[in-house]
Amino acid sequence: MNDPSWNEPISGESRSAATDDIDLDRVWVNVAAEVWRRHPGRLERTAARLLRSPGLARALFTTPSLLLPWLIASAVVLAVGALTQVGAGQPLVWLIAPAVAAVGIAYSYGPGLDPAWELSCSMPVSDRLVLLTRGVAVFAVNAVLGLIASIATLATHAAQPTITAQLTFAWLLPMTAACALALAVAVAVRSAIAGAGAGVGAWLTLVLAHSATDYGATDGAGGVLSAAALTSAITDANLYLPYLAVAVCCAVIVLFATRPQRGLL
Amino acid sequence: MNIELTDVTRTFGRNKAVDGVSLAVGPGVFGLLGPNGAGKTSLLRMLATVLPPSSGTVRLLDKDPGRPAARTQIRRRLGYLPQNLGYYPSFTVAEFVEYFALLKEMPAHQVPKAVAAAVEQVDLGPRAKARLRTLSGGMLRRVGIAQAIVNGPDLLLLDEPTAGLDPEQRVAFRTLIRDLGQRATVVVSTHLVEDVGTACSEVALMAEGKVVFRGTPDELTAQGEGHEIGDSPLERGYGAVLAASRKQVAA
Amino acid sequence: MDDDELIASLAGGDDMALRQLFDRHAPWLAARLRKALPPDDVEDVLQETFLAVWKNAGTYQPRGTPAAWLWVIARNQAALLLRKQGPTTQALLDEALLDEDRPVSDPAEAVATRTDLDVAAAAALGPPGCPDREVWRLRYEEDRPVAEVAALMGVPEGTVKSRVHRARRLLRAALGGVE
Repeated sequence: MNDPSWNEPISGESRSAATDDIDLDRVWVNVAAEVWRRHPGRLERTAARLLRSPGLARALFTTPSLLLPWLIASAVVLAVGALTQVGAGQPLVWLIAPAVAAVGIAYSYGPGLDPAWELSCSMPVSDRLVLLTRGVAVFAVNAVLGLIASIATLATHAAQPTITAQLTFAWLLPMTAACALALAVAVAVRSAIAGAGAGVGAWLTLVLAHSATDYGATDGAGGVLSAAALTSAITDANLYLPYLAVAVCCAVIVLFATRPQRGLL
Repeated sequence: MNIELTDVTRTFGRNKAVDGVSLAVGPGVFGLLGPNGAGKTSLLRMLATVLPPSSGTVRLLDKDPGRPAARTQIRRRLGYLPQNLGYYPSFTVAEFVEYFALLKEMPAHQVPKAVAAAVEQVDLGPRAKARLRTLSGGMLRRVGIAQAIVNGPDLLLLDEPTAGLDPEQRVAFRTLIRDLGQRATVVVSTHLVEDVGTACSEVALMAEGKVVFRGTPDELTAQGEGHEIGDSPLERGYGAVLAASRKQVAA
Repeated sequence: MDDDELIASLAGGDDMALRQLFDRHAPWLAARLRKALPPDDVEDVLQETFLAVWKNAGTYQPRGTPAAWLWVIARNQAALLLRKQGPTTQALLDEALLDEDRPVSDPAEAVATRTDLDVAAAAALGPPGCPDREVWRLRYEEDRPVAEVAALMGVPEGTVKSRVHRARRLLRAALGGVE
């Protein structure tokens, strides 16, 4: 067929005649289904197989995009803390990190992290599992950022005796306790703000109260607000077990408060 | 009966948002009318299994949502559009609808076609790959409707679905819910009386947490005989019933 | 946008362009395919055609005949479908061939030939209703036996046979003897 005119629609052929029994809308939907289809990455496909739920895998993998604003905010705050000097050169990272993390974890409950949160609560996929996983993700992000800031300051201020290795890492324990408390309150009271307030408030109260009773510990030169006094909440090994106990208790509260019969809302 | 509520109450602290509501609803379009604060949203949240009742029994699709396994089964057959949906700005229309199709545990091989059909049904085909942050309020509402219908639900709950839709889109919406109501129970909660009056086979009016009227739109119109306030017969009926219920509360 | 621009755009991933192309061309493609295939098959072929268009738009060379390009893809998809359906279809199609002396073993080629011939018939044999066109329609498009055609047209069987012969001659001439 060399004559191209055979291939052109002939003017006599109407567009609607002879096609009454053909559903072009249905054809288009089938075409669009393939064209608009999303192809999940290999990680997501593996997760879907392991968790036996493509929905749960997808929910977990959207977490990074939801966490991005939180990541940026936390990074900024911790960078500021690392750069600020107090008294004899103590970085504020260890003071800020637990508070920042507590706020973040509290807001993984409710629309703070997930804008379509109420709708997500009406889904068959376990909202509790998604909440817990997102909470853990927020914690991990803050832990990593805090460690980076902390180690950076340790490296640049290695000469100063008040910045010890203990200070660089020990804040992770009170951070865990503060986060567990924040999430427990948020879930029990059904309010992210309440959780954030509880976590930050408890941490600040502890820091101030402990430094008031312990201000002579390191250099004795200052009062309650000296850098040495403020670090006592982290350096005092007597507190480690209580921190752990608080974390465990609050974790149990979270699990109980999110039990299926009660729901999240 | 897809919905069976018996003396359901929901309190928040000292506030009784829903006060002793009993309803039985089968297939068809059911309108839930009432002023803001009447308890419609709390009632809808209980139907969406998002909120448990403080007292009374709820049965949805012949199952008890208080039991976790049954609740999961109900949720697979549910479509819900909350009053404030919230969007993921970086998602496209198709991605957003697909996300909830997956969360509703639709079989993965059915998802692409269901998503395409839902997007086309709300007339957002030309925007399927547009990011949600580029859409207007009315379009976002339609995205919300699309995710609610994507799994062909037996129970469809729509809270203020026509917010931001222009008149032509409202007509299309009414046609859509009439079609869906052939086989499923569609509950539309709205404070705009005319919006759904013509599409509903039955309406209920809520005030102060109680159902003060239940019947057909025509019966509601009949209540409005002689009532002055309202631009249309249905609105007059609505106003009359509300006024009567307020008098009863005051007495 | 004209068709060439649409195809270029959809090669770049513009799904709106595909939609416009579909709205413009699916109706006539459907009508043409319907002459050779039942409705369900037409829908399947159209679906595969536009998916193939989506995937292969990059290979399109603008030569001014986008409709021809679309028709070739549609025809090939129809052929693929028929190949899958197997020998029964082939047997039915063998009867509809233009030249019974030249049996075609490939049903795909047969349907391709047949649909092109339908198009050629419209041009070469005259408007619908005229005797040559009628006899072609009854004999080859509707597969009726000679006796039935004669009864329907109200003419002797001999007349039917000679009209069939003339129609074939006209078509062969119009097609330039090309296979």
